[in-house]
Amino acid sequence: MSKFNFWLQRAAQVIIVLLIVTFGASLLLRLIPVDLATILIPNGSESEREILRNEIGLNKGPIGYYLQWLGDFVQGDLGKIYFSGGTETVSDHLAKAMPRSLLLMAYTQVFALSVAIPLGVISAYRAGRRTDRIISNILFVMASIPGFAIALILIIVVGVKLAWLPTLGYATYSEGIWEHFKHMLMPVLSLSFGLIATYTRLLRADMIASLREDYVTMAMSKGLSDRRILWKHVFRPSSITLFTSAALSMGGLIGGAIVIESIFATYGVGFEIFAAIAGRQYISLQSCVAVISLFYVFFNLVVDIGSGFVDPRTRDRRANV
Amino acid sequence: MFNNSKFTKPTWLSISWLGLMLFLAVFGSLLPFKSWKFVYEDDLGVVPFSPGHILGTDNNGYDLLASLIAGTRMSIFIAVTAVSLGGLIGSALGITAAFVRGKVDTVMSTLFNVGLAVPNLVLALALVSVLATNVDINQSVPTWRRVMVLIVSLTIVLIPILGRIARGATLSWSGRDFVTAARSMGMRDRQIIMKHIVPNVLPALIAVAFLAVGVVIIAEASLSILGVGIPDGASWGGMIARGRNDLEYSPHVLYIPVIFLAITVISTNQIGEVLRSKLDSREAKV
Repeated sequence: MSKFNFWLQRAAQVIIVLLIVTFGASLLLRLIPVDLATILIPNGSESEREILRNEIGLNKGPIGYYLQWLGDFVQGDLGKIYFSGGTETVSDHLAKAMPRSLLLMAYTQVFALSVAIPLGVISAYRAGRRTDRIISNILFVMASIPGFAIALILIIVVGVKLAWLPTLGYATYSEGIWEHFKHMLMPVLSLSFGLIATYTRLLRADMIASLREDYVTMAMSKGLSDRRILWKHVFRPSSITLFTSAALSMGGLIGGAIVIESIFATYGVGFEIFAAIAGRQYISLQSCVAVISLFYVFFNLVVDIGSGFVDPRTRDRRANV
Repeated sequence: MFNNSKFTKPTWLSISWLGLMLFLAVFGSLLPFKSWKFVYEDDLGVVPFSPGHILGTDNNGYDLLASLIAGTRMSIFIAVTAVSLGGLIGSALGITAAFVRGKVDTVMSTLFNVGLAVPNLVLALALVSVLATNVDINQSVPTWRRVMVLIVSLTIVLIPILGRIARGATLSWSGRDFVTAARSMGMRDRQIIMKHIVPNVLPALIAVAFLAVGVVIIAEASLSILGVGIPDGASWGGMIARGRNDLEYSPHVLYIPVIFLAITVISTNQIGEVLRSKLDSREAKV
């Protein structure tokens, strides 16, 4: 199979998966044994509900409703938040929330990687010795503690007892870079704890395998320094696995971010979902889930293609499966 | 694989902790404690290790030890039920798909990918909130219905995860020589699956199931913190959600369920990892 055909097939798979996901989401809404219009505008009159039913295609049956939703979605109309009289659109909310969530995730990834890489390199270098064992044990515990537990403990200790950092809200760049990072620090810390553990263990395992390669023995026999061998000859090939898994951990990060965002009230996409559920704005929920899956699936596809370009071995291996 | 001679100390500690949790979950209601809903009006916000209240009380006067025992029952019940159901359905689908191959496998893999295309917690959150909808916003959903909805949603979340692992394991086993041999001897497909595939795939699934129990406990707690799990503090997550309200004056109300939850997740992860590494060394010998 030619390379082009292979990627074409992958893209087709992704589109089919996304269509089924979005159809499933809209079917789920129609399965509620309660009239959706009544839920969306609990205080509205019957005529207002009738207008709403016509507007979003609730009277068309599941497939008609889905097709109308899909048509609007493709054109960028993600529905409205009817709670406040139908003046606010979901796309406006998401346009505001998206950058915050993306920033939060970017900071988390950068922070987690910048802690995990040195730790992973050290523990691979000292594999089986005391330093390695201590790091591994601490990381094992870190990986098991859920992010919200760390968030709540941070709030008690750093936010309430010491009063060093604000426990709620979000500050934009324009409100001052220092303020911005003060608001972001605790959410980033709570999200990155588990990731640090995952990344370090992965990098350690991969580097230990790379250290056994012949070219490392060759480099050692040439008399290169340990540091140079570790970073240039061992870390570089192992880092591809690390960055791939960092990219693939985005899904878990999005889920974790919902809880963390609602604990710290940072008003990101996660908080938007939380608000949609609390206010029973299910159209907004459906569109948010669709946007997240779209983002997540395409991100995975890009990672897949990207890692194929960086390391041709993975490309061949995948093509053979 | 389960020869217990080589378990290390942390593994034994994990096994005993999980044993204790199981004991509390099964026999907790028989222990001589008052119901966790009993309000000690004279002891509001008592700190831990006080006489009469070993773990203290919260600001509403609920005894935390009694709450914890009730919470253990709920959290363990939800986790064990969801993982068993998800594991059974997922592995049945995954093994069948990988064994039959062809169109069945394509459809099944696509469906698994659909489940995996939505991040776990987002999927669980969407399912729980939609399935537990009531007509009247002011009327609360009964607890048993919330528990049912939680279990169903978490099961649906787990099916593609465990199903894909079962599928992958089956693919690697069904190509081995002994399967070809069994087939050439005229064994039926169903017999081959039950006699040759399932016993080989099962250990890997059990190891993952332990990890999944930890994931489900955390997911249940996350959902409760978001306000769509078990209300009124009848589970660990519910207790954590309630503890958030008086962070400043009685932080122990929050610390205690968090510590219980964390130790339980550490234990399930430890056992899962040990089983997996034993499995890997067995694989290496083959």
